[in-house]
Amino acid sequence: MIQAHEAMVNVTYNGQNFELPDPVNYTAGDGDIKAWVSEAIRTGSIRGVAADPNVDLANFVVDRFDAPADPAPGQRSHNAVFLRPKTAYGLV
Amino acid sequence: MPRAMIMTGVTTMMTEAAVVLGPKGQALYWHLPPNRNTVALPDSPTLWEFYWKNREIMVGQAHSHPGYGWPGPSYEDITTYDACERGLGKRYTWWIASMDRLVTVTWDGPGSTDYRVDRVTEEPSWVEELRRLSQQPTSDEERQS
Repeated sequence: MIQAHEAMVNVTYNGQNFELPDPVNYTAGDGDIKAWVSEAIRTGSIRGVAADPNVDLANFVVDRFDAPADPAPGQRSHNAVFLRPKTAYGLV
Repeated sequence: MPRAMIMTGVTTMMTEAAVVLGPKGQALYWHLPPNRNTVALPDSPTLWEFYWKNREIMVGQAHSHPGYGWPGPSYEDITTYDACERGLGKRYTWWIASMDRLVTVTWDGPGSTDYRVDRVTEEPSWVEELRRLSQQPTSDEERQS
């Protein structure tokens, strides 16, 4: 059971989309989340995800989505954190 | 005189724009977020979602830079190319268009940010539309072709 202060972490990396097996504290900093995911990818500790010793998530961003107040059946009922590449272009 | 000046009479590019391109050079998605400006296309979860869903069919993306002359990628551009290719698990072609020139940017290795810039002399048909949308200070849409 995912607690109200926790979130599942969804990651998109190397053409794969997967979740960390355990929830994290929803208020964890972006740097901490990137570090945990990097470690999981580097060591190959996530089932079905190939280990990558050169993983680099420096230019990835963290999106956070609160748990819906009244989730419909089948809808996500917990907080969620998504780690994905940035898509910013330009001089700033 | 550059072609865009003849066609529009506009001398400066007003805002950046982008387009995701398919295998036949067709526009798959025009990225025109309301928060784009003269020098930047800010990070967009919507654009990422489109990349992810179309990662197998897209061949790359083009965005515009203000002004004239041969454009080059910024540090922001390069680190975004690197991040997106890491996330998508594939290499792509990234075009940059100024008001009168077009280049491609592709990974050349070995380092993660070692990208090569090549000048394009025969411009694809979508470039003029990208330039036109870069002159429009629209605050409207992201539209799908």
